[in-house]
Formats: sequence, structure tokens, C-alpha cells
Amino acid sequence: MHRLPPRAFMVVALVLLVLAVLLGLLVGPVQIAPVKLLTLWSADQDMDGRVLELIRLPRVLLAALVGACLASCGAVMQGLFRNPLADPSLIGVSSGASVGASCVIFFGGFGFLGSGLGLPAIAIGAFLGGMAATAVVYRLATSVTGTSVSTMLLAGIAITALAGAVTSLFSFFADNEMLRRISLWQMGNLDSANWHRVMVIAAVVIPLVSVLPREGRALNAMLLGESEARHLGIGVEQLKRRLIVLTALGVGVAVAVSGVVAFVGLIVPHLVRLLIGPDHRYLIPGSALLGAVLLLLADTGARTLMSPAELPTGVITALLGAPFFVALLLRQRRGLVS
Amino acid sequence: MLEAQGLSFSIAGFSLLRDIDLRVEPGKVTAIIGPNGAGKTSLFRLLTGEQRPTAGNIALSGRPLGDWSSTQLASVMAVLPQSSRLDFPFTAREVVMMGRIPHATGLVRDTAIVDAALTAVDGSYLDKRFYTHMSGGEKQRVQLARVLAQIWEPVTDHARVLILDEPTSSFDLAHQQLTITNMRSFAAQGVGVLVVIHDLNMAARCADQLLVLSCGRIAACGSPQQVLTATTIKQVFNVDVSIGINPLTGTPLVIA
Repeated sequence: MHRLPPRAFMVVALVLLVLAVLLGLLVGPVQIAPVKLLTLWSADQDMDGRVLELIRLPRVLLAALVGACLASCGAVMQGLFRNPLADPSLIGVSSGASVGASCVIFFGGFGFLGSGLGLPAIAIGAFLGGMAATAVVYRLATSVTGTSVSTMLLAGIAITALAGAVTSLFSFFADNEMLRRISLWQMGNLDSANWHRVMVIAAVVIPLVSVLPREGRALNAMLLGESEARHLGIGVEQLKRRLIVLTALGVGVAVAVSGVVAFVGLIVPHLVRLLIGPDHRYLIPGSALLGAVLLLLADTGARTLMSPAELPTGVITALLGAPFFVALLLRQRRGLVS
Repeated sequence: MLEAQGLSFSIAGFSLLRDIDLRVEPGKVTAIIGPNGAGKTSLFRLLTGEQRPTAGNIALSGRPLGDWSSTQLASVMAVLPQSSRLDFPFTAREVVMMGRIPHATGLVRDTAIVDAALTAVDGSYLDKRFYTHMSGGEKQRVQLARVLAQIWEPVTDHARVLILDEPTSSFDLAHQQLTITNMRSFAAQGVGVLVVIHDLNMAARCADQLLVLSCGRIAACGSPQQVLTATTIKQVFNVDVSIGINPLTGTPLVIA
């Protein structure tokens, strides 16, 4: 297996990101001529210019931020669990968020929740639900001797099942309109993008994505085993706590604004690891870049494939992601790559 | 110097170790031997700070082990556990480079140390190979190189300590010998080496001091000549042996 030099990979991914952003801006139910890009933030905008500024650009930015966030959190989770097939939702964030979101949809009247931040109550409910589920999983796995990652994995499975049952209960008692909103939310969608939301997400995701690679060396040592990492001077328990809080925060925010977008957090780090190797100092930023690119492309696809109708973004990522993932697994089993 | 006094350790009412005194002296190789279940691994865990003793103290360079910060400790004490699971495709070089995490010696120096450590375990050819594709013995050599790189050179006035649990379990004869050479050469630089080992003849060849554990207690302690006697071995392992002299090294040779 050949590895790309990490720096070369970053340059390629950056170029791809720029291209994906341009594609996302110009392609959609209405095709927009590239020259209109020059009219962004200028006074003499026509209809296309306004579509670009008020609809396309926030959506493109939201897709990029969510993709970067999910993919870099996925890379961290896979390192923390020492399992290249781990997914950021393992710690219960997504399923807890589903409970929070469906609870808000079901009972309604939680408008006060989001008023402070100008976010919809569903997003706040989802965020709180995700945080609560992660907190329970973390508490279950933590004892006086520290946090056991394997217990966390099992607790995550249990809490996910429990949360799934609660969401089903809400769905069961919901009327048709609520049911449709709950299932649409669960499919993962970026259609609610606006500038305000982009700002809130950017305020969380940009610091997060810049902080996570600093833990790269420590995460590399964690892959050797927890006691090996401890003997290399890593404060293992503090590291675990920090990373769990950061990923829960990141995934929680991403899920809150976009619903459950499947597979990005699982596949992107896996793919980047195949391309440049498992060193987290490069894997985390590389995953962030490629995650942004892939979610942007998937979202552009979601907007255009059946236009003027829009598909949920999460459906596209799962439709493309699952077969791709199976292909990776098969290649790996045949020993073509490691 | 790593020094333990009056160590006892029990889990859930079972006493695993009782009243252990031990000194890992700089410049010497100390080997712990004993039958299965004698408490070797528990002692290893206590001495490396992974678990706290129920009673007794452990001090490194005169300072209680618990008072060392993890980074400080890692810069003078390297520990090789028995089996290391690593399922990610790091190259041998990357794995050995992790041994330099506790130090801030810069990439140039670290690269030179990694080269030297890989050479010391006969692993230069593994350099760019993936850990996940290696044989058991190769993996073990890479891990050994990692801990050697960790304490390759002195950083402070404190003596360095190297603690190895069964380092040669999947080595062939040549690499067993090489490991003895490595332990001896680190000891010759003033490193205190502690090794848990099963093979009595290996222990006889590499150690200055042998510590025999039996049922959680020290059954015998001293030089290989003093400890490896037919009576002690009968007592501890319940096996009849005769003791010869290794014609190549002059150390005791246990013939079972």
C-alpha cells in the first residue's frame, strides 16, 4: 500500500474543497452563472445574486462545517476506541438528539428554548438530548479506576437502543404532521441553512477543528494501548474526558442543525487513513477537509438530483456511503490494502 | 534506583503479593522468575505504577512513585508490557518514534535515536513496513525498540529504568541473544533493568540478580549461582532438575 505525503494530500483536499464550494454555489434548481459570484455583498444584485448570498452560500458553508465537524470527530472516536470502524454516534449523541428533537416536535411549545440563540427549538432540544445521552454513557463507563472505553461502547449501545425506543414511542403517539417532521429530522437535512445558523455552528466547529489535531500525538500513543500511553507520559484519563467532551459537543451541534447525517463520521476518517496513514496529527485535519468536501458534494446532489424537489442529505450520504464502506471492507479482506 | 519496601497487594480479599522488598540498582539487570500465578504480573503492575500497593512503598531515585508527574516518569522509566495490541497500520518507524513522545529533543535527534533503536533490535529492515503486516516476533522487536528509544539517552540526573515483561516470548534464538545483549548494554550505561522472564536459563544468562517469586512471596533472591539450585527449583517449581554450568558463559545451566 502506498501512502500519500500528508502535505500533498492536504493541498489536494483544499483544492477539492474550493471546487466543491464553487459547484455547490452554482449548481442547484436554478443554475447560476459564475460571474454572479462577483455580485456577492454588493448593492446591485439581481435575483441570482440574492439566491447566492442568502440561500446558496449559507447552505454551502453549513454543509462544509457539518462535514468537517463530523469527520474530525469520527477520527477522534476511532482513535479513542482503538477501532477503525467506530462512529461518532457510538457515545449516544445522535440517538439522544433524536429523543430531544422528537420530544420538542411532539410536545411543541418549547420556543423559549431557542429564543436566546435565535435557533429553532428542535435544534436546542436535539443538542440537549445528545449531551444528556453522552453524559449518561460517560457516567456508566466511569468508576474510581477511570473510564473504560469498552464499557463505554456497550453503554453507548444500550443507551442508543433505549433512546431509539423513546423516539419510537413519540412517533407512535404523534399525529401525521408530527410523524413526518420527526422522520424528516432523523433523515438528516441541511435545508434550514441561514446565515445566523452558520455563525452559531462556525463558532463551535472552527475552534473545535483547530483544537483537535493538537491531541494527535497523544491519540497516536493511545492506539498502542492505555497503559502504554500512560508509560509514555500521557494523562490518559484527562485525555479521554477532554476528547469525549469535545466530540460530544461537536457532534451534538452538528446533529442539532442538520439531523442525523449518516456515514460521514465513519467513512471519511477511514478513507483518509487509507490515503495518508493513521497518524492523528494529519488524520484529523485531513478528515476535516475531506469531510467538508464529501458532505458538500452529497448536499449538492441532494439539491439537484430530483430538482425542483430536494432529497434529505442524510439519505444521500447513507445511499453512497454504505456501498462504499462495504467496498472498503472487501478490499481490506482481500488484503489489497491494510 | 527503583526501590520497593514491604509491598503487599490484595484484590477482593485475595492476597496476591506479601511483603516484597526489591531494589533495581543502576547498572544491573534484575530478573523476576517464578511459576505461573506466583504474582509476577502483579508485581510488574505495582512497580510500573499501574496499580497501587495495598501496603508498602515504591520509590524511584528516592522519591515516592506517586509523586512523579507522568511526563517526568516517562522520561526516565520505560515499560514494555507483555503484549501490545495495535490494529492501525503505523510503520515500524512511526511506532518507535512514539517512544520519543516524552522528550522534546527535536526531529533530527529523534530520528537518529529511532534509527539506532531499530538497528539495536535488528529491525532496520522493518523501517517502512506496516505493523499490522508483521509477524509476532517482528512486532515484539518493534515494541522493544520503542521502549529502548524512550530512554535511549539520559535526560536528568536521575538514573534511567527499563522494565520489561517477557520481552523474548516470541523471539527466535538469535533475537533472544540480541535482547540479552541489549539489556546488558543498557545496564552498562547505568540503566537499572528489571525483567520478568520465564526461561530460567535466559534469566541465568542476563541477570546479575534473580528474584524468585512463589505464591506471592519472595522464595529466594541473589545471584544466579546462589538462587538456581536444584533444591530451590524443586521447592518453587516442583520439578527435579540438575544444575550444570553453561560452558560458553559460565552461568548456571538448568537441565530439566
